[in-house]
Amino acid sequence: MEVFFQQVTNGLAVGGIYALIALGYTMVYGVLRLINFAHGDLFTMGGYLGLTLLTSFALTGRLGPLLGIIVLAIMVMGLVAIAGAALERAAYRPLRESPRLSAVVSALGASIFLQNAIMLIYGAKMMVYPQDILPKVAINLFGLYIPLVRIIILSASVIMMAGLYAFIQKTKVGAAIRAAAIDQGAARLMGINVDQVIMIVFLVGPGLGGVAGLMVGLLYGQVNFTMGWVYGLKAFTAAILGGIGNIPGAMVGGILLGLIEALGAAYISIAWKDAIAFLVLILILIIRPTGLLGERVAEKV
Amino acid sequence: MRKLHLGKLWMTAAALCLFSGTALSADTIKIGLMAPLTGSWASEGQEMKQVLELLAENLNAKGGVLGKQVVVVTEDDGGDPRTAALAAQRLATQDVPFSIGTYGSSVTEATQNIYNEAKIIQIANGSTAIRLTEKKLDNFFRTCPRDDEQAKVAVQTIEKLGYKNVAILHDNTTYAKGLAEEGKALIEKDGDKVVFFDALTPGERDYTAILTKLKEAKPDIVFFTGYYPEAGLLLRQKREMGWNVPFIGGDATNNPDLVKIAGQDAAEGFYFLSAPLPKDLPTEEAKAFLASFEKKYGAAPNSIYSVLAGDGFRVAIAAIEATKSTDFTKLADYLHKDLKNFPGLTGVISFDEKGDRVGEVYRVYKVNAEGAFILQN
Repeated sequence: MEVFFQQVTNGLAVGGIYALIALGYTMVYGVLRLINFAHGDLFTMGGYLGLTLLTSFALTGRLGPLLGIIVLAIMVMGLVAIAGAALERAAYRPLRESPRLSAVVSALGASIFLQNAIMLIYGAKMMVYPQDILPKVAINLFGLYIPLVRIIILSASVIMMAGLYAFIQKTKVGAAIRAAAIDQGAARLMGINVDQVIMIVFLVGPGLGGVAGLMVGLLYGQVNFTMGWVYGLKAFTAAILGGIGNIPGAMVGGILLGLIEALGAAYISIAWKDAIAFLVLILILIIRPTGLLGERVAEKV
Repeated sequence: MRKLHLGKLWMTAAALCLFSGTALSADTIKIGLMAPLTGSWASEGQEMKQVLELLAENLNAKGGVLGKQVVVVTEDDGGDPRTAALAAQRLATQDVPFSIGTYGSSVTEATQNIYNEAKIIQIANGSTAIRLTEKKLDNFFRTCPRDDEQAKVAVQTIEKLGYKNVAILHDNTTYAKGLAEEGKALIEKDGDKVVFFDALTPGERDYTAILTKLKEAKPDIVFFTGYYPEAGLLLRQKREMGWNVPFIGGDATNNPDLVKIAGQDAAEGFYFLSAPLPKDLPTEEAKAFLASFEKKYGAAPNSIYSVLAGDGFRVAIAAIEATKSTDFTKLADYLHKDLKNFPGLTGVISFDEKGDRVGEVYRVYKVNAEGAFILQN
């Protein structure tokens, strides 16, 4: 039983990161019906920018670990958000009126461009975060051994997701995003600047993805230029699992995928871990083709 | 008329080629080198070239071999089997009795038949896959050990340390899985227990689920046969879990980045197998060679495999010297039967009938508190 709960905590930590990345996929899909394939690479960018800022400004040294990391996260979030908005402006907006396939091809191209740009700037070798940023303390909870870092990272992602949910549901801008997701034409007639809404979506989604990249760097200590691919694939799966276009769905899907992976590895087979996760995805899609929370087709975001 | 004319031209050209070929070979002896000068193993390949050129330079300064100067002819294999096949074909047209190299097993494999048909002796320096010598080609030798020897040394080390319950973890690559299966068979043959045998997915970040499951199996030691990025993450996350089981890795974990990824405190005490690092080569020849290498290029060689290429070159020269010939059959016979305990840079060299190097090359290293790799006895 102890092992079961230990595996649940392992799965939650991984799932929290999947969920945070999945939000970027699902928000963009909700508004544009476009899979932003470059999202995984924006996530990678977050990991690298975090490393650069951390080492060049010595943030944790000056501000202490906790405040330093918060400032760092805000800086990374801002920079990756700007990169996301620039990507939208350069790669997607000119294709707004084109067939959807053109935008998908453009997204794939943007992904290849970003991945290779990161490789050329930082090099093909993996880079390593400094070791002593976060305290290596573990909490012993009823026989469970949980590193403090994981608790901090899981709670940070839960807080960010809750904040996003409040932003979408309670604010005027959130209402505009929801309106644009339902019907862009009608939203325009109601006086909503849809281009601006799309820009906001491309600020928020990549911002969260960038923070997820930073978290991965802090938690696991290494970043390399291809890491966006695996995480992007998993997060995309999580978004579909929860119902793509649906924000709570991305959160549920991410956490669920992390749990399935950890428990599948624990009780069935480690080597078959991914196969099990994708099998569950297929089963869920057979029973519920719109994903777990994707029933309200009318309100996507 | 036209046809005849062309035919004549071809014949003249062929004759010219032949003459120029023999004319050149009269005063020099060419040794081929096939190395990954570009691609992902470029740093190893460049170093192989540096090692061979330095050795040839030193040899020529002493008068060469059989009174002739030695020229190293280098072709780039790009670390890619297709490029390597072209490189081998180019070398095959250049009248080289020997071709040294190359590094990757699959790359070497793509060239074996080309050299065999061209009657050129190939001495590989980094290709450890077992099947390369199991084909029993009469022209193939290697100065590096085989993967099954690595498993043998790993199991010996585990037994010497007194561990009975072993967990084996691989990553489903041909190399890692082969090593894991060899290791498992040897451990079970010796009456010890393999309490865990499974594979992880390389390229991921979070291995806590796997570590939790490993811990449940209560092993005395974990043998990980994969590569250093995953090994580093495993060590780091094992430490975060507060689990103090010793880990031992295969030679793919031999990389200074392992310590960076794991962190010094988590990497401390990690055992791994490797051919000796250049700095730990014990022989006088090796020390003299490393000193002259550092003098010429400014730094000691990083990779043991480039030094093993140098041993391939030295063995080739010794064979030419002893047989006083560049004839394929004489040279191959000499290497198979008569070359015994040749003082190589990496220890004594003899070859068995398959062309494998006889004797144990692998050593055990342990990471110390400063993150340095220390040779164990």
